[in-house]
Amino acid sequence: MQGNEQGLVDISITLNGREQKVAVPADMSALKLIREVLGLKGTKEGCSIGECGACTILVDRQAVNACLVFAPQLDGKDVQTIEGLNREPRFQALQQAFLDRHAVQCGFCTPGLLISVYALLLEEPCPDRDEVIRSIAGNLCRCTGYHQILSGVDRAINPDAEWRPDVG
Amino acid sequence: MSGKQYYRPGNLEQCLDFLAENGRESVLLAGGTDVMVDMRAGEIDKSWIVDISRLPELWGIELQNGKLWIGAAVTLTELLNSKLLQEHGFALHTAALHFAARQIRNVATIGGNVAHCSPSADTLPPLLVHEAEALLAGPCARRRIPVGEVAAGTYRSALEPRELIIGFELRPRSPFLADFQKIGRRRELVIARVNMAGLADMDEDQRMTGVRFALGSCTPVPRRFADVEALLEGSRPGRELFWEAGRLAAENMIRMSGRRPSFVYKEKAVQGLVYRMFSPLLEA
Amino acid sequence: MNLVYQTVGQSIDKKDGRQRLRGEPLFSADLELENALVLKVLRSSKAHAEIESIDSDAASALPGVVQIFTARDIPGRNLMGIINKDQPLLVVDKVRSLGDAVALVAAESETAANAALQAIRVDYRDLPAVFDPQQALTEEAPLIHAEGNLLCRRDIIRGDIHAGFAAAAVIVEQTYQTSFVEHAFLEPDAGAGYVDSDGVLVIHASTQNPHYDRSEVSGVLRLPKERVRIIQAATGGGFGSKLDVNCQGFIGLALYHLQRPVRLVYTREESFLATAKRHPLTITMKSGVDSTGKLTAAKVRILCDTGAYGSYGIAVVSRAAVHALGPYALDNVAIESLGVYTNNPYCGAMRGFGAPQAAFASESQMDLLAAELGMDPLKIRKINALRPGSVTVTGQKLEASVGYLECLEAIEPYYQAAKAEWLPAQVPEYRRRGIGLGGMFYGIGNTGTKNPSTARVVMDQTGQATLYTGCADIGQGSSTVLIQILAETLGLEYENIQMVAADTGRTTSAGATSASRQTYISGNAVLDASKKLAAILCSLGARQLKTAASDLVLRKGQVQDRRDPSRGISLAELAALARKQGIELFGEGRFDPVTTSLDPETGQGDPYATYAFACQLALLSVDVLTGEVRVDKVVAAHDVGRAVHPENVKGQICGGVAMGLGFALMEAFEPGKTESLKDYHIPTCSDMPEVIPLIVESEEPSGPYGAKGVGEPALIPTAPAIANGLALALGERITTLPANLERVLEAGLKAGLFGA
Repeated sequence: MQGNEQGLVDISITLNGREQKVAVPADMSALKLIREVLGLKGTKEGCSIGECGACTILVDRQAVNACLVFAPQLDGKDVQTIEGLNREPRFQALQQAFLDRHAVQCGFCTPGLLISVYALLLEEPCPDRDEVIRSIAGNLCRCTGYHQILSGVDRAINPDAEWRPDVG
Repeated sequence: MSGKQYYRPGNLEQCLDFLAENGRESVLLAGGTDVMVDMRAGEIDKSWIVDISRLPELWGIELQNGKLWIGAAVTLTELLNSKLLQEHGFALHTAALHFAARQIRNVATIGGNVAHCSPSADTLPPLLVHEAEALLAGPCARRRIPVGEVAAGTYRSALEPRELIIGFELRPRSPFLADFQKIGRRRELVIARVNMAGLADMDEDQRMTGVRFALGSCTPVPRRFADVEALLEGSRPGRELFWEAGRLAAENMIRMSGRRPSFVYKEKAVQGLVYRMFSPLLEA
Repeated sequence: MNLVYQTVGQSIDKKDGRQRLRGEPLFSADLELENALVLKVLRSSKAHAEIESIDSDAASALPGVVQIFTARDIPGRNLMGIINKDQPLLVVDKVRSLGDAVALVAAESETAANAALQAIRVDYRDLPAVFDPQQALTEEAPLIHAEGNLLCRRDIIRGDIHAGFAAAAVIVEQTYQTSFVEHAFLEPDAGAGYVDSDGVLVIHASTQNPHYDRSEVSGVLRLPKERVRIIQAATGGGFGSKLDVNCQGFIGLALYHLQRPVRLVYTREESFLATAKRHPLTITMKSGVDSTGKLTAAKVRILCDTGAYGSYGIAVVSRAAVHALGPYALDNVAIESLGVYTNNPYCGAMRGFGAPQAAFASESQMDLLAAELGMDPLKIRKINALRPGSVTVTGQKLEASVGYLECLEAIEPYYQAAKAEWLPAQVPEYRRRGIGLGGMFYGIGNTGTKNPSTARVVMDQTGQATLYTGCADIGQGSSTVLIQILAETLGLEYENIQMVAADTGRTTSAGATSASRQTYISGNAVLDASKKLAAILCSLGARQLKTAASDLVLRKGQVQDRRDPSRGISLAELAALARKQGIELFGEGRFDPVTTSLDPETGQGDPYATYAFACQLALLSVDVLTGEVRVDKVVAAHDVGRAVHPENVKGQICGGVAMGLGFALMEAFEPGKTESLKDYHIPTCSDMPEVIPLIVESEEPSGPYGAKGVGEPALIPTAPAIANGLALALGERITTLPANLERVLEAGLKAGLFGA
């Protein structure tokens, strides 16, 4: 496939469960598409070069940095952002676990972080600490020092889990 | 409007046809994790973005004809999930484990990592010790070159503009020691300061055989160090031997790259890391 | 006395936590204003140069470019700075560092704005530049500001150091160096604004101090304060950097001239280039101790590189001096702390204001002294610990809430176990283990200056309360804590309390979210306001219940008889009654901690009303072949007075340890080199040690429900604990931070540990 007469690329994506057609410039990032064209602001821009994870979204149920994906690459893909995931019961359970464990401070890294954890839990409902850490190491958080986040993940996996101070 | 155009071929033939015409004005896009960063930095002046991530010819990890085939569009996550790779290319599997971060591993491809020609590419040292060949497709013919020759220099490809990597053939090995080591400024999501891979078998006489060693991040292009391999080959593991191997690696690094400010550290770190990588053999 | 509170001490759900988890709060970059112009700032590519000319004609003519502003377009005072005003919004005749703002572009699109940046021609004439603060103080150094390169100095002189050193059995002297550190909050600076129907410039911004922003913006624009309204947008961390006016001034300038909505979003690179850094400090410290381990004297020289502008430099210089010797009693001291201009990036506030750097030096000294004496590092700290009745180096007598010894005692079992079991355990030949202690004290609030907070609590006719506070919650949780204080005082359910925060149009000033001051100072202002409202409610209730107001308490949404809770009247009833009687139900509160200014010559005085204390223990292992360090565990004991919200306190401690670990091991901003998060590394989840937070509550009588603060204290002991652990592991001390791969490997080499 290639661009239309305006030099834009017509793509079709399933965004948060709804099919959507949109024409995008060839070099537009998925992040720009989501935030600026589609107006979904829950996906955050923290660095634009894949070094912080704030823009993590799901593409075909895999966590990716939206800033590193070209919008045309999304053609035909299933894309989920925080706005769509907010409606998923399992995602809500994860959010509740984070709330219970005080895993959110400023909240800027939070959507991306939740999505990284959620992607892991889709694949592996009971990951061990190491897997959790390796799955969120690409999501920087400057506020929490990560412990309450890990505690939140623990609680999502096992609601009776106690606070654990260690990371691995 | 940037004036960039996007093209996504449906198969290899279409891709090659397109490149035959527009290769010089094209940048190949597989995962995109490097292309996007370079483009944002204004370092890519090509007008066409050619998305090769959906070419079926570039997919798959298979054992065929005694070789381990890895398609160029295989992602790092796919490498990590591959039982075949764990068995026959453990060093590369370990490299995938230490590669960037999960979100990047999910899209970044092995072909892209090699073709970007970064001196710190994490897949390169393991590919080198597995004596991998890159399979290239061009308008007229296919050819194969040693993976170490894909880069003509730092961030400089030796490929023709009309060529692309379709995959790699590795010599499958599951030796006694197969390892990848990396030093970074933190534990994950980091570019290597030093990375390396090593393979070694032990014969009945407790001597090392089939020793392979490659070093990354220290020379303009990652490479195997023949004299380090020769030093170890046929010898029994020993502290002094490994220490000497490390010293030799560091000495070669400096000979090849000249003295740089960073080598005050790297000279020692390379020596230390070589020692550390081979030290499990001391207990063999 | 351990009072049972309803809300204080409970880890209630975070205010707005659920919304944050859903990605709903609007951060500045998320704000969509109709028809908004895009702003971009042209920044200096020179470290020190005169501007001969700025030619923006070609840029102005580009399609989509609306206007280009330079210093000439600034109607008011083109100088900013919260303590001293030396930083122009747009430079006038010269640039003093890379990244100085030269011109502001307003355009219809980002593309057009970027094109304009490319098309503006600036002719510079290079000036000699100076990047070393010591050199900047020499006579031949180029002048960065007309008044000279010395920004300020703070001396603290007490007792007789000659006599003190004469009495010492051991004297150690060492110079310590720290690096520029980037705040690296996750949300890059941004803001957006419009002009409302009353002609007020409304600016939404990522900020830690909206009321200061307002005075600065109105000053720059020469507008009455009422013509500027700053509203804090959801703010993605600040750590001190968002105390400076970053985007707000540019937005104000464009609004002033264009009267059209505008937005300005820094890229991460711009945020790195153009915002404040942590001051690198050079600290030379000479310390003496007698044979019993008692400190006898210290002489300290501190050089703070403030870069091109003052920002919070004066505060850092002063605080570094006051905290230079840590939480220890010492009678004979001579401390000299200098703030110096260079052509480096400007340095400002960052979590701890010079105390983290100072603690690195002073806690290293404590271990050096202990080693010379053959004394245990914990013991020397205990011997010298500040305790109730102690006098600090500024001559302040500490009366209550001096919990340092309690922190040391809380750490002790972990320390002894680590020493006895963990340290001697078998590890691979190329690894070495170490444990280290880091102690600290930290004055809550500004240093010897007024720093009041105000608050207003209003009750509506249904008995619902709304808190109006200028306090900017930047993620750390001050909103939650302030609501808890209000709820506790008025006996309300916290879920029902509404809040209006950090909006200069609707709230009065709470001062800056800095210096770990909001829980203590704004908490007290809220307490004051709540008590005043409570008094009104009680007097109303007294009439209804026919009893003395002094016999009444507020509890569970009622005014109740203290002795007979069954006798009560609901707040809703009282509120309705008050309305009938035309009584307004509100309380206005204010709190300014009792401090005295420091004597300009001797630095003596009571700079803070209360201090937080802490001690952390780090357990770590070093790979001597590569210089890699793994911090395995940090035990962190913090005296917070009272933990109003224990989980928030833990969150601050764990976050502080993470930032302290970065400061200790990996973070260094290199001017002219470091660009973004690709080459500036902060800890990821996998770099984190196990953290055991231990909350010590040595109640502060003047604090709201006994609380002090923890935001900055959380970070301060970490780097010294790690540095001391490294010194033990390596047998060689690292005196420059970060103790990165290179420095650790080198120290191991020196110690003869590098080898097979």
